[in-house]
Amino acid sequence: MSTIPIARRYSVPVVTSAALWFALYFAARVLLKRYDLETWPRVAIALAPLVPFAWCLVSIVRAVRAMDELERRIHLEALGFAYPLATFLLMTLALMQRAVTLSFEDWSYAHVWFYLPVFYCFGLILSTRRYE
Amino acid sequence: MKNRLRVLRAEQAWSQESLAERLGVSRQTVNAVETGKYDPSLPLAFRMAQLFGKTIEDIFQPDPELQ
Repeated sequence: MSTIPIARRYSVPVVTSAALWFALYFAARVLLKRYDLETWPRVAIALAPLVPFAWCLVSIVRAVRAMDELERRIHLEALGFAYPLATFLLMTLALMQRAVTLSFEDWSYAHVWFYLPVFYCFGLILSTRRYE
Repeated sequence: MKNRLRVLRAEQAWSQESLAERLGVSRQTVNAVETGKYDPSLPLAFRMAQLFGKTIEDIFQPDPELQ
């Protein structure tokens, strides 16, 4: 096994696919907003970011499979950090929804997914520092 | 858990990188074990013992505070 940290070994496909997904996601949003297309082209454009997203997920799974035991623990701890935080955010939005109507464009459940990788990255930083 | 991994590695004049390569783990893992921040799994502890020609007890000792 290579002694190069897994994060560096697998960073190229993960970062490339994530960047591609990010670009396609925002391009799809702009296209759907600016052009009045037929239903099927709209669906195709809306789902286009799923391709690089799937590539990103596969790259992450490959990276996890190649990790040693400490690296896997670090990622597990990162999940253990991100999951409760995302649940807390979901619960907050659910309770807020009881009181007021949350705008889809502003704050709603639709935005929670975006925070999952952010929380996960925070968890990775914290957990990695713990074992340095 | 305490361990003598750093001492045993120094006796062989191996770097952390070199030991990590021999054990099939990352350098970060070797460093975390040496500094006592991470206790290795039993299979990894056996690999370490085999590599240095020692028993697991020769390398790892339980924390006196926990005894």
